[in-house]
Amino acid sequence: MTSTPRQNGTADAPIEVSSFPTVVGINFGNSYASIAVLTKEGSADCIANEDGERQIACAISFHGEETYIGNQAKHQLVKNSQNTITGFRNLLGKKFSEIPSDKLSVSAPVIQHPEIPDEPAYKVQVLQAAPSPLPTSATTTPAPSHAPTPRSEPIPATRFLTPSEVTSIFLKSLIQSAEDYLGKKVQGAVITVPDWFSDVQKSALQKAAADADIVILQLLEEAGAVAVTTTTGAQADALPHDRTQLIVDLGSSGLELALLSIREGLAYSLATISDHTVGGDFIDDRLIKFFAKDFTKKTKMPLTVAPATDAQDKRAEAKLRLAVEHTKRTLSASPGAATCSVESLKDGLDYTGTINRLRFDMEMRPIYSQVYTKVKEIVASAGIDLYDVDEIVYVGGSASLPGLDATLAEGFAESVVTPFTSGTVVGGGVGDPTTILARGCALQAKILVTLPDSTEEEREVKKAFTNGTEWAKAKATSKSIGLIFPEDGAEEGGLGGQWVPVLSRETALPARRTVQFDVDLGEGAGDKKVAFEVWEVKEGVKIEKSKPPPLELDDGEEEDEDEEEEEIETKEKTVDKDNLLTSLALVAKGCKSVNGRRKTRLEVQLLLSETGALEISAWEVGQSGKGEKVTASVSA
Amino acid sequence: MANVVELPIVTPPLRSNWSPPQPSAKSIAPLQERRLLPAGPAYLAHVRRTIHNLTFEEHDK
Ligand SMILES: Nc1ncnc2c1ncn2[C@@H]1O[C@H](COP(=O)(O)OP(=O)(O)OP(=O)(O)O)[C@@H](O)[C@H]1O
Ligand SMILES: [Mg+2]
Repeated sequence: MTSTPRQNGTADAPIEVSSFPTVVGINFGNSYASIAVLTKEGSADCIANEDGERQIACAISFHGEETYIGNQAKHQLVKNSQNTITGFRNLLGKKFSEIPSDKLSVSAPVIQHPEIPDEPAYKVQVLQAAPSPLPTSATTTPAPSHAPTPRSEPIPATRFLTPSEVTSIFLKSLIQSAEDYLGKKVQGAVITVPDWFSDVQKSALQKAAADADIVILQLLEEAGAVAVTTTTGAQADALPHDRTQLIVDLGSSGLELALLSIREGLAYSLATISDHTVGGDFIDDRLIKFFAKDFTKKTKMPLTVAPATDAQDKRAEAKLRLAVEHTKRTLSASPGAATCSVESLKDGLDYTGTINRLRFDMEMRPIYSQVYTKVKEIVASAGIDLYDVDEIVYVGGSASLPGLDATLAEGFAESVVTPFTSGTVVGGGVGDPTTILARGCALQAKILVTLPDSTEEEREVKKAFTNGTEWAKAKATSKSIGLIFPEDGAEEGGLGGQWVPVLSRETALPARRTVQFDVDLGEGAGDKKVAFEVWEVKEGVKIEKSKPPPLELDDGEEEDEDEEEEEIETKEKTVDKDNLLTSLALVAKGCKSVNGRRKTRLEVQLLLSETGALEISAWEVGQSGKGEKVTASVSA
Repeated sequence: MANVVELPIVTPPLRSNWSPPQPSAKSIAPLQERRLLPAGPAYLAHVRRTIHNLTFEEHDK
């Protein structure tokens, strides 16, 4: 080899999309998992397993000789809960003594493993197939017999499965589903981990995957998976490349919020908050109570759920919990009536009830409000305002509910982008909260699997994707930098000219930004000068309170009795000069006349080194190409 | 390639009495330590530039 190609470091022919190694992305939640694969076009799509499920319940159930995995296993929670295992992801890497005892009630009991010290294990009853008869027993029994041994009955046995073993079985089945779909062996996977997973938990997952013969390309934090999905593809290109993103993940057991700074695809977290007193399970609590009440009203049969005390009510509660999965999905998909049907809910009585979205949202108001409170908390903890958030991304099944978005939207700027406002939630669109994580993992897998590793440096690049890597450390700006074009007659006390933002605060270094725009040079002939100042600014949000305009009431409508008129808050983003860094001037040579005024087009580039040294350059751009470049520098 | 953001603006003619002012800061405001999410093509580009010691321009090629 005479020269070293910089990218894809080998001399092989360029890789074709179709010949990508087969990789998958797996979202491994505590309650549900999903699988994404790469399409021919290189985007990612969630696939259904053999039962037609895209959201695959993280459940394994043993029933006699059968082992059920996924939603079928979840259904075993009604009659066979003792042998049904759920919630195992969150037990990964935990010692038995670390597990709070109240966490372990709904499914198979978690006990101290009979052999391994301080190791939790699920205890289940299974039927083990009797050992198949040997063709000849001459070598193993003292009384040789050549007659075939009759097939004996399966033997009841007790099995102890550690969370790690359960995880291996479960992940293996996901990979199997992917392989059945793809018709090829899966060569590598990226799997999500919650942002709060400790190193011990991560290694436990790593080991469980290894035991299932899965090649893990990366364990990716959920926020990282979101960042990949939301910075890739046409949809992402249409959004500002520098933006503040709020991730609202409402799953089964909890709420996870993360505030990300996304700058030209490079992302980091500004703040995170979890709240495990809100989530899908709590939505279920309210919903099943609603239906139980309705059942009692219709049948006069008492039924108390969430919590239920007597055995019959407990069974009914388990049935309702399974049934409302469907109800909730219908409610997310359409505002009309959604049903909840349970055969023999209690005492042989069937139940069918309905609820529409309006009523549902009323019942869920406290849940939505709690999420909203947390959202305000995280934004405040990062020292910014709701108005500084440019985009909301919803993750997790329960975030599919439009009522949640409607509640949150009230507090944000009208321009905030949410998958509901852009219409990308329904029909498995790019904003679908239930597929975002798995798709992000698949896209990440695509990046990782093609990384070369023939040189020392290339191997170092690969290492930058491992847990706890030093390469992820970066320095970032604390203030926004932009240009001010001084103009005559500018407002007193204002900026003194037009503000052109170039580099946002919270941008990781090194950074480069290039902007292009038109410059008005005024009237008349002669050389025209272009000049601007480079400023660091303070950004804020100004809140103004005002009385609302008197309401025009329709005839016959009652005047509101409320004496106190509520004030309306109007918010406005503000920019204040902080520090002048430098200025730049050039003589415009490429100007054109437009309607009697002279104009030119300017390109300005800002380069900020990793130490914070700033270089700012400007040049005209026109038909004949680029004009002369002028540069100013500010030392670090 | 450098991503050029086209802004839909027209900046005004230069103030008639403008002369280059004296900067009020010698350097930009203090930097802060952050931890990047090790994900996505932009992160890959970032570490490649750092590890191979390339400028943006060299990396563009
Ligand atoms: N379309 C939908 N509308 C409303 N709720 C839904 C929808 N799809 C799934 N859910 C609910 O979302 C929850 C599962 O969400 P998700 O898969 O994000 O959980 P998870 O990540 O496994 O759990 P967690 O993060 O809480 O540990 C369940 O409560 C489920 O009923
Ligand atoms: Mg989750």
